[in-house]
Amino acid sequence: MKIEILFPEFCNLYGDMYNMKYLKMCVPDAEFIETALDDIPAFTKEDVNMIYLGPMTENTQEKVINRLKPYKERIKELIEKNVVFLFTGNSVEVLGKYIENEDGSKIEGLGIFDVYSKRDMMHRHNSFLVGKYEDIEIVGFKSQFTMMYGDNKDSYFVEVEKGIGINKESKLEGIKKNNFIGTYIIGPILIQNPLFTKKILKNIVANDEKLALEDDVMAAYEVRLKELKKL
Amino acid sequence: MKKGFRFYIALWGAKMGTILLKILRRNATFFPGKFALKICPDFIGKIGKPKTIVAVTGTNGKTTVCNMTEDILKDNNIDFIDNKYGSNIDAGVATTLIGGASVTGKAKKDLAILEVDERSSPKIYPYLTPTYLICTNLFRDSLMRNAHTEFISSLLTKYIPKDTTLILNGDDLITSNIAPSNKRIYFGIDRLDTDGDKCENIARDIIVCPKCNTKLEYEYVRYNHIGRAHCPKCDFKSPDIDYLATNLDLENMKLALKHDNTEEIYDLISDNIINIYNIVTVITILKTLGLTCTQINESLKKQKIVDTRYSEEVVCGKKVITHLSKGMNPIACSRVFDYTRKYKGNKAVILLLDDLHEAANGNENTAWQYDTDYEFLNDDSIKQIIIAGARYLDGLVRLEIAGVPKEKITYQRDELSAIDKLKLDGIETIFILHDLYAIDLKNAVKNKVEIMIKNEEELNKEEKKGE
Repeated sequence: MKIEILFPEFCNLYGDMYNMKYLKMCVPDAEFIETALDDIPAFTKEDVNMIYLGPMTENTQEKVINRLKPYKERIKELIEKNVVFLFTGNSVEVLGKYIENEDGSKIEGLGIFDVYSKRDMMHRHNSFLVGKYEDIEIVGFKSQFTMMYGDNKDSYFVEVEKGIGINKESKLEGIKKNNFIGTYIIGPILIQNPLFTKKILKNIVANDEKLALEDDVMAAYEVRLKELKKL
Repeated sequence: MKKGFRFYIALWGAKMGTILLKILRRNATFFPGKFALKICPDFIGKIGKPKTIVAVTGTNGKTTVCNMTEDILKDNNIDFIDNKYGSNIDAGVATTLIGGASVTGKAKKDLAILEVDERSSPKIYPYLTPTYLICTNLFRDSLMRNAHTEFISSLLTKYIPKDTTLILNGDDLITSNIAPSNKRIYFGIDRLDTDGDKCENIARDIIVCPKCNTKLEYEYVRYNHIGRAHCPKCDFKSPDIDYLATNLDLENMKLALKHDNTEEIYDLISDNIINIYNIVTVITILKTLGLTCTQINESLKKQKIVDTRYSEEVVCGKKVITHLSKGMNPIACSRVFDYTRKYKGNKAVILLLDDLHEAANGNENTAWQYDTDYEFLNDDSIKQIIIAGARYLDGLVRLEIAGVPKEKITYQRDELSAIDKLKLDGIETIFILHDLYAIDLKNAVKNKVEIMIKNEEELNKEEKKGE
């Protein structure tokens, strides 16, 4: 099994890289490929089981868009082929139509999804989230300068119970298409959501093995879910 | 700048407010300035300011640097205004300037030492030009407020006035490149035996050359992105240091400072690298202000890192150390974890790192724990780790992911009951690492630990008598 981590030297903000470290603890036999921004991504040459991209700075978003643009069709093909993707934080924006700055200037994205995002660098949005994904509940935190716009009613990740969706007016968080999941949730989403991690693992290893540290991770999840629901 | 009616209403109203707060025995640290800015938004620009303004900004160390600088100036009978007891945002700076101005709005003193929150740059620097702006370092900080270093450094570059002379940490490649067209002075610490050629920290925010994107080559790494590096392709490199600390002698607690072909010897008041940087920063500021080595060092020797940040006490032969370890601030915590693991002898570590308010509500974003080097606590010399507080289960998981064996971890929600499980046998030092807003809790835990040590000592004595 191969899991490709894209551009970890840049796209590593907010502790998100521990999603991959935790996954490694859960599937120690998997091969993790770390692709630097200067390298040609492994997914362009071979089939991989999962592709991960973490949050990044605004300047890095442009570099990542330029790097991935030549592989737009391949990414679309892999999404159609049900390859697991997990894009966290603002990384999902690079696959949208464009990112708009406060002055109206636009950075063209890959245009794989029919959404766009708007930056507001002097107003950072912080919130927590509780919501439903299939038959499980997701908890998480958001901290971002951008909001996303566009219609995701047929392609959302989480139906939000508490918190916001892709923007303040939306209750539908993230983008989901086949096994592609893009979410503004930042930080250790896989550690904080063991039931979600199990679903991801089911898609890449097709079994129901126990997670690493499962009892403790589950206990922390249950406490957080209970506490956040009370707020 | 013409003052106008609004300015005087703001100034007099704020001054009256300050008197009222004093009568009510409340600290006038924030509200007079907030009031003045509400009435007159460009109040900071209009009020008279001291001729020399030293502003101190940066992720870590700004409070300690300001406190030490102020104490040494005071000890040398140099008069100044400061926001030591005020806030470091625009309202706090305005409050300080109001306190330092006459009823006509003229500055009463010639020098100001101002701690300035880096996020407040857009609200302060358009109205106030620091003579010197010190930047201690730029690291990942509260992600909810400061996002990332690229955002903060671009804010500083955008808003620092062109006429300000910068005093910058030359060992920090992010800090040393802010506001590149400004005049600058660099301070730094020469290569140490403990420096390596590999970074062992999670967070590294400058890996490639900002000019040509080539991977930087580090001559040595101290921690995170602190060290010296160069780009193998272009001319980007760590700057030459103007005030260079060399020959750190931790046995005799001395350092030599090289500047302009001279070398001066100063006393160290801490062996912690964070505080050594703070000391070098303070010396550089004071030398730039014209103080002599003797003036600085005679006062420096009398300084102490304040108790709320660091304290150590010996109780019946065991050391109890409290160390501020700002939660949500991954680098500050990582530095303290590194100091703790390297401290000699066997240790027990008590972690009180929750944001007391947010954690209690359950909505503390704990992502920062995964930018923090909890791995440093996975050390043979650390025999027990007690993790307590509302987010104790998150702490447990983080420690386990860091590889700390579960049998070493005591985890419990209630902090004071968790201390009951402290195992003192074979432990030489107990570290209590606490958040900035957990001072009362830290004191309660410290008292309890000290009582436990004393009780154990009594018990041991009785047992010996019995034998």
